[in-house]
This record gives sequence, C-alpha cells and structure tokens, in this order.
Amino acid sequence: MSPNGDKEMTMRMRRLLIPLFAFALVAAACGDDDDAGGDGGDGGDSRDTGRVVLMTAMEPEEVDAVQKVLDDLINSEVDYTAEVEAAGNFEEQLQIRAEGGTLDLAAVPQPGAVRQLAADGSIVALEDLGFDIDELEELFGEYFLSLGEYEGKHYGMPTNINLKSMVWYPKDDFDAAGYEVPETWDELIALSDQIVADGSSPWCVGFESEGATGWPATDWMEDLVLRTAGVEVYDQWVNHEIPFDDPAIKKAAEYFGEILFTDGYVLGGAAASADLAFGDAPGPMFQDPPGCWLHRQASFINAFFGNFAEGLEAGVDYDWFPLPPIDKDGTLFAGEFTVVGSDRPEVKDFLERFIDEAVQCAMGADEASSRISPNINVGPDCYANDILADASVVLTDALENDTGRFDASDMMPPEVNSQFWTGMIEYVRGGPSVLDKVLADIEAAWN
Amino acid sequence: MTDGPVQQITPTEPARSGAERVLRLLGAVGVLVGLPLLVRWAFDFTKSRDANRLAIVGVAIALGVLGVFALFWLMDQIVDRLPRAWRETVRPYVFVGPALVVLSVFLIYPVVNTILISFKDRRGDRWVGLDNYEFVFTDPSMLRSLRNTAMWIVVVPAVALVVGLLFATLADRLQRGESIAKSVIFLPMAISFVGAAVTFRLIYSYRPEGFGSNVGVLNAIWTALGNEPVAWLTLRPWNNFFLMVIMIWMQTGFAMVVLSSAIKAIPDEIIEAARIDGATEWQVFRHITVPSILPTITVVTTYMVINALKVFDIVFVMGAPENNGTEVVAERMLTWFFSRQNQGYGAAVAVVLFIAVIPVMIANVRRFRAEEAIR
Repeated sequence: MSPNGDKEMTMRMRRLLIPLFAFALVAAACGDDDDAGGDGGDGGDSRDTGRVVLMTAMEPEEVDAVQKVLDDLINSEVDYTAEVEAAGNFEEQLQIRAEGGTLDLAAVPQPGAVRQLAADGSIVALEDLGFDIDELEELFGEYFLSLGEYEGKHYGMPTNINLKSMVWYPKDDFDAAGYEVPETWDELIALSDQIVADGSSPWCVGFESEGATGWPATDWMEDLVLRTAGVEVYDQWVNHEIPFDDPAIKKAAEYFGEILFTDGYVLGGAAASADLAFGDAPGPMFQDPPGCWLHRQASFINAFFGNFAEGLEAGVDYDWFPLPPIDKDGTLFAGEFTVVGSDRPEVKDFLERFIDEAVQCAMGADEASSRISPNINVGPDCYANDILADASVVLTDALENDTGRFDASDMMPPEVNSQFWTGMIEYVRGGPSVLDKVLADIEAAWN
Repeated sequence: MTDGPVQQITPTEPARSGAERVLRLLGAVGVLVGLPLLVRWAFDFTKSRDANRLAIVGVAIALGVLGVFALFWLMDQIVDRLPRAWRETVRPYVFVGPALVVLSVFLIYPVVNTILISFKDRRGDRWVGLDNYEFVFTDPSMLRSLRNTAMWIVVVPAVALVVGLLFATLADRLQRGESIAKSVIFLPMAISFVGAAVTFRLIYSYRPEGFGSNVGVLNAIWTALGNEPVAWLTLRPWNNFFLMVIMIWMQTGFAMVVLSSAIKAIPDEIIEAARIDGATEWQVFRHITVPSILPTITVVTTYMVINALKVFDIVFVMGAPENNGTEVVAERMLTWFFSRQNQGYGAAVAVVLFIAVIPVMIANVRRFRAEEAIR
C-alpha cells in the first residue's frame, strides 16, 4: 500500500469517525437524559436539588393550604425545600414513580395500595427509617397504623383522617319543628316515622357517582356492619374470613333496607336514588320547608352545600350527629397514608416534622381546609372549622379506644370493591327480594 | 486501490493556511462539544418547573424538529463515507431504520408483550394458560360488552352512513349555502369524544322529583310535555342507543364530507345521459350515484367500524357501565387493566379486540389492492 493510500485511509477514517463520534455524543446526551427523565419527570431532579416532594391526590386549594403550612413551619427551618404536589392521575403516577425509584413521599388514600407498593419493594418501611413503632401507635392508635403493615413492617404513616359516620340535618328547621337529635337507632327510626307523619320525607340519599356509582351505599353498609356486628366481625368481613353473604352482613343490609324501602322514608323513592348524583342529594334539606331532614355522608359533603343556598352557616343552618349505635358502636373513617419511596435523610426529616403536632395543628387553622389530623394529641382547638373540630373529637376517641374502622370497600380487592358498588345499586333498585342474590354475587367476586 | 482519487484530494490539502486549519479544528471541536451540551441544556430546560411554558414548548419543538433533521443528516453523512459499493445498498435502510425502530418499540413489542401477558395471572407472575380467555367469554359483564360492541359496530356506521349520504346528496342540490350547511354538520368532528360525552351528560342529566329542577335538556322537554323525569342513562336497553347517538352525531359529518366529494367526482355526462333516458331521481341515485361511490362508502364504513370497535371514552364518561349494562370491549379492557389491576384479564380483552379488528383491516387491504389492480 502506497503512502498516499495510507493517507487516503486515514482521511476516510477521519471523515467517517467525526460524524460517528458526534452522533454517539448526541445519542449519549439524549440517552442520559431519557434515563432520568423517563422515570417520572420532576421526581428525578429532586435527587440533587435538595427538594422533598410529597405527591398527593389533593385538590389544588388543599395543596395551597398545606404548602403554606410547610413553608411557614418546615421550609423556614431546614436546608431543603418541601413541596406538596397534586398529581392529576395519582394512581398511575404513583406506580410509575415508585417503580422508577423517583418517589420521595406520597400520600396514598388506600391501605391496599400501600401494601401493594410494599410487596413490590418500592417503598421503605417506617422501621427501616428509624421510626419507633410503639411511639407511632401512641400517636395514631394501633389499628390505623396496622393498616399499612406488610410482612411485619409498617409502611404507611397516617397523615389525614376523615369521618364517614355523620348524619347531617338542617339545624334551624329541625329545631323549629321540635325534633331531637337521636342517640339510638330506635330513636332514629322513631324520628323518621315522626317526619313521615308530619307529611315530609326523612331521608335524602343519592348514589350516582359516574364510574364509581354505588360507593355512598357501600359506606352505609360499612357503618351498619360496624353497628350491628361490631369491629371484630367487621375485620373478618374485610379480610374475607367470613363470606360476604354471612348472616351478620345480611342483617346489616336489612337495616339499610329499613331506611331505603320503608314507605315514605326516602325522598323520591329508593330506586330513583340510584340515579341521583351524590352531590345533589343533600339539596332538599335546604329548601323551605325542607324536602328531607337527614343525610348520611362523610365530612367532605358540606363543601357541596354552597350549591344549594347562599351563605349557609355550619352550626346554624346545618349540623350533624354521629350515626347512632345499634347493638354495637363504631366509627367509620377513611384517611391517607404517607409512604416513603426514598431513604434519604431529608425525606425522613420531613416526615418527622410533617407528623409533628405543631404542623398538624396548623393545617386545621385554615377555615376552608377539610383535613383532620390522625395524631391523637392534636386537639379540637386546632380547627378553625367547627364541623371538623367536632369530627376530630369523635375520631380521636375512636382511634384511642379502637372502635374506629377504615372504609371496608377501599380495603377489599378492586374487583370485589366494584362488585360491592354494583351490587348495592342492584339492591337499591331491586328491593329486599334481590338481597340474597346481590350478596352471593359479591361473594363470588372474591374468587 | 488506485492513486486516482487521492490525487484529487491531496492538492487541496496544502492550499489551506495554518490559521484556517486551526479555525476549522476549533470549529469542529466546538460543534462536537457544543452540540451535545446544547441538546442536554434543551432537555433540562424542557423539564424545568419555573420556565415560561411557551418557551418550553418552543424549545421542545425545536429539539424535536432539529433533532430529527440532525439525526438524518448525520446518518446521511455517515453513509456518504462508506465505500461506494455499499452506499446505495445501505442508504434506504438507514432512512427507514429510525421508523422501523420506533415501530418495533411502540407497536410490535407491545403487541407481542400483550399476547404474552394475556396468558399470565393478574400481576404477570405466573402462566395461567387460557384462564383469562375463559373469563372473557364467560363473565356476564364481558358477554354484555361483546354484545354491545357488536351493536355499536352495526348501528353507528349504518346510521351515520345513511344520514351522511342523505345530507351529502341533498346538500349537493342546494342552490346556495351548501358549504355552510356542511360546515354545521361537520362541526362535531372537531370535538373530542370526551368533550362530546361531557356535553351529552348534561343533555341526559336527571334529577328525581323533589331534588330541584331538571337541568338536562332532554328531561326539560320531557317534563314540559307533562311526563315524569327519566334517568336516560340507566334506562336499559335504550341507554346503549343514547350513547351511540353521541358517536353518530360526531361521525355523520365525516361521512357526509367524504361522500359529498365522491358524489361531486361523478362525471355529469353519466347522470345527464341517465336523465335523458328517462331515469327518475331515485333510479339515478340507486343505479348511478351509489355504485359510483361504493369504494368511498367502503372506506368510510371501515373507518367508522374501527372507531366503533375502539369506543371507550363515551361509555366511560357516561356513568357506571356495569350498573347500566353499557359495557363495551375497549372499556372492559381499561377497567380490568387499570382500575382493577388485573393485567391478565385486561390483556386478554385487548387481544380479543385486536383479533376483531384484523378481518376489517384485511377486507380493506384486499379491496384496496383490487382497486389498484383495476387501474
């Protein structure tokens, strides 16, 4: 080979290599970024920037309120920045970030999801972060903490709780009509009969909620299982240690049927309530005279009351009482568990500060907030909103005395949960004669 | 290797001055180092939280467009430097390559993986044989969804086609205002399925008596006529048709526009000849218009059948399908895969849906080939 040929070769090589090299560089640059970026966007950055992101399914207003508390009480004292984030498609995002390892913290509403993440190995146990479980049990009650337990370790830190066993009533009209707040189930039925005798309808119920239609009915059922069978049977029911068509559950459903199907009890009739949006249901309480007098729904529902009349005032225009006990007593609640996706000192530091009484208390100071602290030491004085203050007393009591139970349908497998919704709607439409079939169908969904 | 080409290159070399060479080298190094840095910066920028959203969109578009351009340019340069004999053999593959890679990553791999998952359990851990398919063809809700989807793919294309053809034929005869009339009918095409479904939710909205006035248009009319309000969306079996109305409303405009242009393409001489021979308007329509536009009708039908097979958003937005008996196959797929986290069931439904689309596609390709052969 001639020297010239050699030179030509090197020229060619060089010409070939330069673009190849550039190409490789570009590809590497892109590739690098894809690794970090593809795993969940913003989460990836927090590694280096000293940020701690708490991912939540909260509404934007709630996020603002919580963020303000974090800014005032946490971010001013530490060298990282804690941020609350409202993830639009929470469940998907949670899965993606947890699997990709870019999750700092997430406030998860379902205990089942917490255990699933733990089973996948994508979240860190509270024990491994150095939390003392005995201390936490003091703060939140053993039951609430145990819901996030997987294979002997605890993964979910309770950070919010809301009360479901509430019966709302139009206080001013209620008092004017001379009705009394019932303290037993019999008094509740007597009150309902009284209202029927007075020519009105006692109950407003609505179960429509788009794809989740039926959930308000499952809440009713859960409340009634707690009250007719007690917490032990309730736990067995949740864990499928007794079948769904067990006599104890059927009995609760029959109590529910007493409200639904007694002539004149439900405004518009039970069948129509299956098609009535749950948010529209309390409306007639605020008509003059009220179209109905009683509405069982969780603590969030008063946010809807503004749709029905201007300037309704809690404690004046409306109030609530706990759904009375039957043979047993219990309190139904739901809540959220904060899980930790990354074992970093600042994440742990944040979680410690976040569950601290001062921070939890400060979150109640916002009148518009609907958050109640599951921390037993956070007293009712923390809440600017009286409804929440009263609810917090009931909840604290339930957590301390182990009479509170978490929303059962949220703890059942997803297909059982949706069959529970669907079945309850069939019951509401079909009446007592379809109850056996409805319960058997839900039982079948377990398999 | 001959000395020929070398002679052509070597003379240019000494012509360059030293400074020029240094500059070129610096330039090359600058590009080599700068370009990746620029790309890296651009990627980071698109992820920054505080930057102006418009600027992010701008950078992302520039990155995408210029990135693809740069990719093809670079690969073309690489091919140019290959031995001459290879160049033209390699070049087509280089250009088709990225598309093939994208296609296999986003299409072929998911198809294969979905088929595999459909034979595994809910979390994809264990093989379960045909259990998932057994579920698909025995679960009452799944069977309803198969029945409903069958109705969707018959009713929606049929009605949309007939109404679209009617409008196209009639609009063709309008002295004036044809474009306005067609625009109005075409307009719903511009709305997303979810948007249309939300709108129709309001139309079908229902409140029982005693719970305030009925804000839904349909119930407002219905009650004004002296009837009790009706929960349209749960009124079995008619609620399925109330949902189909939404898709028909959206697709009729599409059918009309395409058919209209086909009708206009029919040579006037044929129609005039028929009229001179004494054909009635109906005979002209039946024996000339329809046969002439038959290929177009087939294309439109295929398109709408596939759309109806895929319908999900409308059903999903309009309430709880299992309570109302309005399940469709695509909706079952998403419900099982995501809401109920049973990947096996979801994938099996997806495979069934995939197989159901294949005959439609084959029929379409065959007809297309036959047409090509005629030409």
